[in-house]
Amino acid sequence: MNASNLIVAGLAFSMSVSAFAAGTHGGGHGHGASIGEPGKASEASRTITVEMHDNYYEPEEIRVKPGETVRFVVQNKGNLVHEFNIGTPGMHEAHQKEMRMMVEHGVIQGNKLNHDMMNMDMGNGHSMKHDDPNSVLLEPGQSREVVWTFANQGNIEFACNVPGHYQSGMYGDVNFE
Amino acid sequence: MNIRLGAVVLCLLMPALALAGEYDLTVDRVEIDTGDFVKQGIGYNGKSPGPVLRFKEGETVRINVTNNLDEMTSIHWHGLILPYQQDGVPGISFPGIKPGETFTYEFPIQQAGTYWFHSHSGFQEPDGAYGAIVIEPEGREPFRYDREYVVQLTDKHPHSGDRIMRNLKMMPDYYNRKQQTVGEFFSDSSEQGFWNTVRDRLAWGDMRMMKADVEDLQGFTGLINGKGPEQNWTGLFEPGERIRLRFINSSAMTYFDVRTPGLDMTVVQADGNNVQPVTVDEFRIGVAETYDVIVRPRDEQAYTIFAESMGRSGYARATLAPEEGMEAAVPPLREPARLTMADMGNMHGMDHGNMDMGSSDDMAGMDHSSMSGMDHSGMSGMDHGSMMMDNQAQNDPFYARGSGLVPTAANGGKFLSYADLRAQNPLYEEREPTREIELRLTGNMERYSWSINGVKYEEADPIRLQYGERVRFKFVNETMMTHPMHLHGMWSILDVGAGQWNPIKHTINVNPGTTVYMETEVDEPGQWAFHCHLSYHAAAGMFRKVIVEGGPDSQQAKTEAMAEDGGEA
Repeated sequence: MNASNLIVAGLAFSMSVSAFAAGTHGGGHGHGASIGEPGKASEASRTITVEMHDNYYEPEEIRVKPGETVRFVVQNKGNLVHEFNIGTPGMHEAHQKEMRMMVEHGVIQGNKLNHDMMNMDMGNGHSMKHDDPNSVLLEPGQSREVVWTFANQGNIEFACNVPGHYQSGMYGDVNFE
Repeated sequence: MNIRLGAVVLCLLMPALALAGEYDLTVDRVEIDTGDFVKQGIGYNGKSPGPVLRFKEGETVRINVTNNLDEMTSIHWHGLILPYQQDGVPGISFPGIKPGETFTYEFPIQQAGTYWFHSHSGFQEPDGAYGAIVIEPEGREPFRYDREYVVQLTDKHPHSGDRIMRNLKMMPDYYNRKQQTVGEFFSDSSEQGFWNTVRDRLAWGDMRMMKADVEDLQGFTGLINGKGPEQNWTGLFEPGERIRLRFINSSAMTYFDVRTPGLDMTVVQADGNNVQPVTVDEFRIGVAETYDVIVRPRDEQAYTIFAESMGRSGYARATLAPEEGMEAAVPPLREPARLTMADMGNMHGMDHGNMDMGSSDDMAGMDHSSMSGMDHSGMSGMDHGSMMMDNQAQNDPFYARGSGLVPTAANGGKFLSYADLRAQNPLYEEREPTREIELRLTGNMERYSWSINGVKYEEADPIRLQYGERVRFKFVNETMMTHPMHLHGMWSILDVGAGQWNPIKHTINVNPGTTVYMETEVDEPGQWAFHCHLSYHAAAGMFRKVIVEGGPDSQQAKTEAMAEDGGEA
């Protein structure tokens, strides 16, 4: 009984590894016209500074114009690793599974990132680099920019998908004017 | 110089900051109706459980407690950091509150989170004298929610606490109905062979324990906020909202395995202290612990809050629903866990008859280091962050290897372990402990005698700590019961091998056959209680007085000279 449970668990685990390797993470969560696309800094109409604390954003809501390009300066002011990710609630939910994998593989270790592990070849040219243009993953004290051109509308949130963070309320709303 | 200046500024600011909240509590005889039975009990302001006391961090509270009973009473503010005279333990903090008397507690609120309060006199707490405390923080919390509910669990028994204790003393298995039967002996024999079965039974007989002793008190009705399973306490929500559930286990004896089928739960606080959020399908809440979780029901439907007792002899049930009167399926009780030889640790073959003679020499030959599955000291270098989830269930380091008690989630998902807990924002700088104190949790089930290092409270010297030191406590559980150890007045920093991120608690479970470490910054002068929070274990002697020597002059304990009118449990 126990043994068979273990085998099932093992199977489920290796399956999700292969689903992972098949690569939603290698660019997957930038897809979907509804959220917009990477923008050029030169086209940005303004800069919004987003501070990441343990475990919440300041501000927790931003207003944008349809089609607006915004330069986000994202600063991690907390003591833990945090993410800033622009997406729909469904995209965030899918990404949370990947982030859980990153924790289980020791890529995210509470307050630091294991960069060797992030660059490790997972097969088929995939890795856990977390280098999609709609998101940044930052250690405490780090700061980075995201330039994003929003679509005309959509159900968009910026969110931290480090396990447990989104669930406990680390997200903000993007409201269209 | 700077420090002095700071102190002066603080003193000047104090009167302005000290918003005084005034609260009144009466201690009353009440009627308790569980849906299964009605009994006489004790409550606050005419009800059991008592009211939810809502404090604000930074205020000073005055609580007037009027004793309407014909016996002594007391209130202990479980988990609160306060001057020891306000801690409410008769014979240690104060003499107790006489019948007809009003006693006014007054203390500053220096923390936030979910806590509870209860009588520390006789068996008034199991008889119903408990309530919840919710403290709102000064700053913002590291999580967000749209609404919140206290979910306070208890194990309400038809017998009074005094009667239960008498029965346990006379016949320790009085309330243990799940003992193995002759029929089970034959079915075990056919599976495991006759001699293996006989050997197993003989070993357990030698322990003076029955194999089914996961719980020594059965026959209770589980209550949530005072409501039995049929009375179904219900919390309302709008789909999509995040709800903070403040779970408090106010049971006399019962551990609960808690789940909300269809909803995962993100644990954000343990024993009032924020933890790094961890999403689970189920968690075990020990007696006197609290866990705050956030759930997010998205659908227009009811969800059951299901709390099965660890020994599966009973359950509590409540509902989250968009409307009053809706309900969801109530799962059946799972098969009871059975203790295994692993839960006896390496004490197999040891003569436990010697244990209650209080001679520590008998134990000296025992090799604790061979309890490899349980010794956490070897784990400090281990990277818990890289632990895989799928073998977590089998390898929970807080259970003996091969233990029959290791919990698994009903849906096959994630079950919270102590090893998952990380402080969200460490309260203390990490530093080397100044010394280690070993506390062996000892007992003899056949005589229902429970003790620490083989010595009962009445015969024991107090534990003396020095103000300013950091003590490492080593709990070695030599019994086959789980003991929730509660140190009053100072925090228990649970060693989960995470260094500065070790979580801060007020109650530490020590499972059978395991060794668990916690550290305490000795930062509160005075004298304090330190005991197993299972009511009948504490009363039987698994209890110590702790004296903190030194510290700010004005606050030092006028020790020993305390009258002891009110009983100690």
